[in-house]
Amino acid sequence: MRLVEDKIGVFICTGYGIADALDIDALCKVATEEHNVPFCRTVETCEGPGLDAINEDIANEGLNKVVIAGISPRRYPDYAFPEHVIAEPLALREHVVWSQPAGEEDTQMMAEDYLRMYITRVKKRQPLEPFEAEEAIDKSLLVVGGGIAGLTAAVEAARAGYDVRLVEKTDALGGWLAKQHKSIPTKPPYRDLEETGIDALIAEVDDHPKVRVYTSATTSQIVGAPGLFDVTLTSTGNGKPEGEVVDEFRIGAIIQATGWRPADPREDLPYGQLDDVIRNVELEQMVKDQGRITRPSDGKDVKSVALIQCGGCTNKDHHSYCSSICCLTSLKQALYLREQGEDSKAYVFYEFMRTPGKYENFYRRAQEDHGIFLTRGEVADVKRTGDGGLCVTARDTMLGEEIQVNVDLVVLAAGMIPNAADGEAIRALEDAQVTLVEGDSEAKKKEAAETIEQLKQHEGTEILNLGYRQGPDLPSLEYGFPDSHFICFPYESRRTGIYPTGAARQPTDGLGSRADATGAALKAIQCVEMTSRGEAVHPRAGDKSYPDFFMQRCTKCKRCTEECPFGVLNEDKEGTPLLRETRCRRCGVCMGACPERIISFKDYSVDIVGSMIKAVNVPDEFEEKPRILVIACENDAFPAFDLVGQHRLQCSPWIRVVPVRCLGSVNFVWITEAMAAGYDGVILLGCKYGDDYQCHFIKGSELASVREKNVREKLEQMAMDIERVELHQLQIDEYDKLPGIFEKFTELIDEIGMNPFKGM
Amino acid sequence: MVTAGKTEPEQPQPGEQESPQATSAGSANGRPVVIDPDLDFIRSLSRQTGESYKKCFQCGTCSASCPISPDTNPFPRKEMAWAVWGMRDRLLEDPDVWLCHHCNDCSVNCPRSGRPGDVLAAVRRESVIHYAAPRFLANWLSKPRFVPLLLGLPTLLLGLAIVLREPIGNALGLAAPTGQSIVYSYSPMLPHWLLNSFFGLFTLFALLAAIIGLVRFVRVIKAPHVWGATGPPNHSFTRSAWIAIKQLFTHEKFTLCTAPHSRPLSHFCVFFGFIALTVVTFWVITGPVNPLLKDGFVYPFSFLSPWKLLANLGGAAVFFGCVMMLRQRLRNRDNAGGSTFFDWAFLWTLFAVVVSGFATELLHYLRMAPHRHVVYFIHLIFVFALLIYLPYSKFAHVLYRTTAMIFAEYYGRNGVRPGVAGSRAQVGGGESRDEASTTVE
Repeated sequence: MRLVEDKIGVFICTGYGIADALDIDALCKVATEEHNVPFCRTVETCEGPGLDAINEDIANEGLNKVVIAGISPRRYPDYAFPEHVIAEPLALREHVVWSQPAGEEDTQMMAEDYLRMYITRVKKRQPLEPFEAEEAIDKSLLVVGGGIAGLTAAVEAARAGYDVRLVEKTDALGGWLAKQHKSIPTKPPYRDLEETGIDALIAEVDDHPKVRVYTSATTSQIVGAPGLFDVTLTSTGNGKPEGEVVDEFRIGAIIQATGWRPADPREDLPYGQLDDVIRNVELEQMVKDQGRITRPSDGKDVKSVALIQCGGCTNKDHHSYCSSICCLTSLKQALYLREQGEDSKAYVFYEFMRTPGKYENFYRRAQEDHGIFLTRGEVADVKRTGDGGLCVTARDTMLGEEIQVNVDLVVLAAGMIPNAADGEAIRALEDAQVTLVEGDSEAKKKEAAETIEQLKQHEGTEILNLGYRQGPDLPSLEYGFPDSHFICFPYESRRTGIYPTGAARQPTDGLGSRADATGAALKAIQCVEMTSRGEAVHPRAGDKSYPDFFMQRCTKCKRCTEECPFGVLNEDKEGTPLLRETRCRRCGVCMGACPERIISFKDYSVDIVGSMIKAVNVPDEFEEKPRILVIACENDAFPAFDLVGQHRLQCSPWIRVVPVRCLGSVNFVWITEAMAAGYDGVILLGCKYGDDYQCHFIKGSELASVREKNVREKLEQMAMDIERVELHQLQIDEYDKLPGIFEKFTELIDEIGMNPFKGM
Repeated sequence: MVTAGKTEPEQPQPGEQESPQATSAGSANGRPVVIDPDLDFIRSLSRQTGESYKKCFQCGTCSASCPISPDTNPFPRKEMAWAVWGMRDRLLEDPDVWLCHHCNDCSVNCPRSGRPGDVLAAVRRESVIHYAAPRFLANWLSKPRFVPLLLGLPTLLLGLAIVLREPIGNALGLAAPTGQSIVYSYSPMLPHWLLNSFFGLFTLFALLAAIIGLVRFVRVIKAPHVWGATGPPNHSFTRSAWIAIKQLFTHEKFTLCTAPHSRPLSHFCVFFGFIALTVVTFWVITGPVNPLLKDGFVYPFSFLSPWKLLANLGGAAVFFGCVMMLRQRLRNRDNAGGSTFFDWAFLWTLFAVVVSGFATELLHYLRMAPHRHVVYFIHLIFVFALLIYLPYSKFAHVLYRTTAMIFAEYYGRNGVRPGVAGSRAQVGGGESRDEASTTVE
């Protein structure tokens, strides 16, 4: 690395009302006199001609680090500097001028402090060099699963010019759609049954020169990281001996399109006891095979059928989510029967009829059919009648009374269960099994035994067989579906370069799977491309920084390997973290976790942020000007300050806001340092966590809340009031809560008094 | 156990008190109702309502927007559910359909364009056929292909009677009435005795059929699982009848309608016009024996005779009412309701009667023989079709609706409770609703 001497420049915008509110000369002096910045000038604006002037100065003066004190970077329409220049935009307008009274001493102090902080930061930041793997980044993709989603993903990626390997565990492509007689409508007017069209898709995949198909094979091992995954496929039987290695190759990213399996029906209905009570998948198979609906018990043509929806919705413990396609499938199957005879009758009993979007047309079509009868109702029981038929009793129907219909066949709509494994649970199970054998105390062994009991259903469920410290598969979200950032970025999973799609990700129909798989293919392509350039993928897309571990001081405490939300770090037997850079999302959670503070980025480190915090001039206690450090997540909370300014909400003059990549990256040494520096309190602003988390890095703010407790202990050791640290969860649209939060906190500080360490 | 189209509320135990059909709590005696939808019935209703009614998703807007539906088990929501499930027997046993005046507020407000008003009209048609005696005649009347037969039959019989008027008259000892009172008459061709006895005879048949139909209908109404279980009568039968007749004459229920059409007004015209014509007709028929007319009876009436004036006024009212009805049925289907052959047959017959009547009168005054005889003959055929086919045509609504309204009063299944009048008014607006709500259950 070539060492370049820093040439720092500070530009202070006088427009936007900044010069009216602040003493610009004094601000310049902070730069030139306090921080010895050789170049400081004022510009009228920092966009358009103002930006041109800045760029001219950068070129003429040979500047390589600049602070632009003006407007929020989110407001720059054309924020562009030469690549070698490290630019620190400081939002004086939003964070100071618009949210503080003009011309006040406190306002000036705040602006000067921010300038100090940003000059400090820009000084400490090092130029970035994107990560270059030792081996070439592979841009081909692996698609796991040959159903509609997998086939679509393969075709879409291949059409875009990427090599694809498609692996299917059964001996044929097509998945569930290939087992269907007809498909629900996929195009306007959404009324008529269609051919599934799966054959054409299979043919395209088979014929495409860029797609290589493996049937009767499974991923028995995937090690490595995005761009560098090494995959081992083994046979699932069917011709070759089971377990025999089929192929080994390297790929760049993985699309998991492993689909779904039908749920077991409600236990109180006589499925499995009466031959003529079957599941929707079995009816589909029957029609596909023989073209007619017949009674399994005697092979006679069926004239009437009862289709019972929600295999278990009435029993919340059994199957507690909507599978989204069962209603459509039952309507379709009702139409199969209607095609069989003019006088045939199909009854559909449902809890909620769900035919989202344009499928309403299909629902209407079924509804209008003379022989299809739909009612909300709870099926109380299904009994055999004397003449070999079945009698279905339903309560709470739309007819306002309990009704019975006599039918030849009862079909239960079975819900969808994702073919996915919970990687974290499997890992926890393995750990517990090890502890049970090797545990050093009886208590631990007992605990391990309990864990095993709880998690035993995960035994042997591995699908991807990833070589990740945090488990062999993706982590699970609710109901056993693989993780995805449902609230903000549905395609993202917590394993970089692995994208679950189709019915494995959420219950969806063929059409939804196609759309979903196309999206997943795009995400996978983005991943291999960005990885090949050494850039981070979502949500810090394009970030060229990456963490550096100063291994000499590592104590193998495993906090980083355990807490990384993305399973970036593997560990060796001793627990030494093994960094897989291309898995990294650059959130800095490891940096926040590390008690030895050995993890840092070139532009973001414990030292950089700590120095920013300490750059603030903290007045002594006699001035009665408290200082509150606000550590704000730059994804939601920090931009919320822009909105505070835009809406001209007045904020406390005592706050000093430091942006962080994620609240999870907050190393608590910053807080103790802040206390030592004389701050009177610290507020941490992070994203919402919990089931419907909003945190871009999944569990950053949750980790921070856990660490906050440790911080409080530390404060107690320092004989400080633990109330001096607060953590708030904030969405960007809750910006209007900020002034209130600070006001309350200031009152609290007034109550408990100034920081006793002030001025020491 | 299950027959096609049967909905079997299993036979109630004798003496067991039962709730009225389809209370929300469940079927009659707590046992489930076995349903086997009658697909032919569904197809028939669909044909009549334009394939639309199965779209019903039971939101209940129809019942909420109906200005005259009772609070408990209101129509037409439950009828829609039964119709969707092809529960033919239950619908035919449902007197509620006759409380509906087809004002169409429900159809206009239906979010699924399910046209509940038209569905109930179709059910009424099925009911007319169901209660008719003999049933085949009603079936004929609902099918266009029987029109030639239905008009040909009276043509043949009346023609035969005219041809054979002399031998029959002689045999019966009836000669054409003579005397000064007859100034100018049809008598030579169409003697009064012949017409009176011809129409009298068939009216007896029609009356018999009407009585049989009504007896069947009332038996259903009184059944314990229909209205019979609603407890002790609300009023005496006479008082109920009086209230219902008053409602009919004032069109009190019909005028609560808010859908944009003029059906109440047109019905009002036809209703009173027809009554005027009926009164005059009977006055004339009784002419020869009526002591009040004995001396002054001059036939035909002069144009300025009060009877003639009344008849012309009535005729004009029917004419204008018919024109309005035809117009809105042809041009304002969405608001005024759909029309089937059953509706058209009745309406056009009525229109033909009044038009041919006026034509006859005109030709009569102009002394235009023999045209006047032909036109009068045609008029008589349509009169026959209107009156004699009454129990089998849409005209039967005078029987069933009147009966249903009387029994609705009797059993307290009518009107709007004062407490909810406001909320109903909210649905369709209008203060007239509050006034109407004085009819208390």
